[in-house]
Amino acid sequence: AAAPEGPQDSAWQRDSELPHGLLQQAARAALHFFNFRAGSPSALRVLAAVQQGRAWINSKKECQVDLEFTTEHYNPEEGEERLGNCSAQVFFKNEKPRPTINVTCTRFMEKSKRQQEDYLLYKHMKQLKDPLDVISIPDSHGHIDPSLRPIWDLAFLGSSYVMWEKTTQFLHYYMAQLSSVKQWKTDEDAIDFDYTVLLHEFSTQEIISCRIHLVWHPNKPLKVKYHCQGPQAPEEASGIEEGSAAAPTTGLINY
Amino acid sequence: MQGAPAGGWGPGLPAVDRRTLLVCSFILAAALGQMNFTGDQVLRILAQNEMQLSLLRDLEGLKPQKVDFWRGPARPSLPVDMRVPFSELKDVKDYLESHGLAYSVMIEDIQVLLDQEREAMAKSRRLERSTSSFSYSSYHTLEEIYSWIDSFVTEHADLVSKIQIGHSFENRSILVLKFSTGGSERQAIWIDTGIHSREWVTHATGIWIAKQIVSDHGKDYILTSLLNTMDIFLEIVSNPDGFAFTHSMNRLWRKNKSNQPGIACIGVDLNRNWRSGFGGNGSKDNPCSETYHGPYPHSEPEVSAIANFITAHGNIKALISIHSYSQMLMYPYGHSLEPISNQEELYNLAKRAVQALYEVHGIKYLYGSISTTLYVASGITVDWAYDSGIKYSFSFELRDTGRYGFLLPATQIIPTAQETWMAIRTILKHTLRHPY
Repeated sequence: AAAPEGPQDSAWQRDSELPHGLLQQAARAALHFFNFRAGSPSALRVLAAVQQGRAWINSKKECQVDLEFTTEHYNPEEGEERLGNCSAQVFFKNEKPRPTINVTCTRFMEKSKRQQEDYLLYKHMKQLKDPLDVISIPDSHGHIDPSLRPIWDLAFLGSSYVMWEKTTQFLHYYMAQLSSVKQWKTDEDAIDFDYTVLLHEFSTQEIISCRIHLVWHPNKPLKVKYHCQGPQAPEEASGIEEGSAAAPTTGLINY
Repeated sequence: MQGAPAGGWGPGLPAVDRRTLLVCSFILAAALGQMNFTGDQVLRILAQNEMQLSLLRDLEGLKPQKVDFWRGPARPSLPVDMRVPFSELKDVKDYLESHGLAYSVMIEDIQVLLDQEREAMAKSRRLERSTSSFSYSSYHTLEEIYSWIDSFVTEHADLVSKIQIGHSFENRSILVLKFSTGGSERQAIWIDTGIHSREWVTHATGIWIAKQIVSDHGKDYILTSLLNTMDIFLEIVSNPDGFAFTHSMNRLWRKNKSNQPGIACIGVDLNRNWRSGFGGNGSKDNPCSETYHGPYPHSEPEVSAIANFITAHGNIKALISIHSYSQMLMYPYGHSLEPISNQEELYNLAKRAVQALYEVHGIKYLYGSISTTLYVASGITVDWAYDSGIKYSFSFELRDTGRYGFLLPATQIIPTAQETWMAIRTILKHTLRHPY
């Protein structure tokens, strides 16, 4: 498809000298959003490489980025080397949260296979003994017990929502550790998962603690609520941030 | 677990007494196998206003000491975390309730938490008596590393010696390994790892590199010719207090453990405390920030130890400072976007080093100046080194790119060390062949 045109509004100026790392920021935001919307812990993606992109900045310092990038499977199997292609339009609101995202990715897994893997994960989760005494995943040595891997993947899925909302043209996040499981209910249909994660914000190097509550069932929209505590910084206005969402049906995602 | 315990002793005691007690408690803890926190709780209180804050500060000032603040009363709406010994719990909770201070129990029993941590550690830990049974593919505690250093130096006394270059804020030894075939006042290479304590793969890489140097000597022509005329200095645990803290309390601790009276937050970012562009945009003057630069350049004993050593030595020709994560190899400046005068040479050297690294396990690294590759950072080690005349100043960010981040699985230690060594070897070769 032809590359999309920039906004027609004359207040926009094409920013040919892209601020350092802007395309990567846009790709990360787009991927977090994509992962959240897909709601599929077996088909999570991470950034492989940015292929190309352009950006426009307006007088309000809002930033529109159009870009193409490749992705890898978050949980690759032995020898798996699948690359996906994505194109996205990302609109950063001058350091305000919740960048607007429009993203399409080529499928790297047959839809039926993805659904099957999600369902397997779901069954595995329902069989897990109560993981409430688990303190951290991974442990200090970076180890994740294979039986607990699904919990990590589901936690990452929920964190994707949080990380999407918080990514700006300057801030980006990684999930450093699942620090505690407050609740893990599988007796009803969906998995009801209440946990805290530590997010690592890269440009400031701060660690942010977020309490996340999600409800997941394969093929149903993911529901997420969260509540983050900013870094220990009395002078900075970080405080408590919250958000919640129920992802719309998967009809909006191109697989 | 977040939060930064203020050393386990209240701020009411004078600094000298506190230090003595800390040292004594270390010895005692070592001898008796840990202090006991059974039944102690950590309470979180949200003070609504200044009056409530001052009620909390009153608690702090009580003698004998009743509470110990992990996150002290700063301002209303910021949580206050305090450890309450078991014996004081009833009194303290009565006090809070009678003054209408709402609290929640963050940790029900500190001892239980500590026991669990220790158990988890014991499972993957090995007690080493000699370096041949030391596991290079595991992460180790400070005690294990220092014990390994002694064994290592004993076993390779013909090539390696141990130098103490100073003491940390909490009075731990700062140790450097010297690799030398003799001579005096030879030109030298400096390598440091672990300046940021949570970057565990860097210490592990430093240890592996030490072993590699002794085993390559006499076998690898580059290393052998280098050591014919130059020395290598390797500081493995550049932030011993922070490192101990990542084992005992907070795996994601970055800074050192220094604190100034009256300031609620602890720690200075040791890679923002150097005298080069100090206090600029790429650092913060907020003590609670992870990139707090400290009160003045080289204020931190861990930094001044290195700076003084290098300055006194006067003949360091290359400096390599190792961090994680991001997979990058970079040169100065961090504090400015201006290219250094040797930009072209360092760019080309970085390019070759990254290629050598890639050829080991196919891992891709980015390279360039710090400010244009990573971010603007002020008061960093390599900027100071370059400004001090050390032309070949490089900074590594090791694996990975965020999937595990600081919590890199131990299974990746050796592959990371192997590839990093090939990059370092490229830099060493160039330094040897381009004397200045």
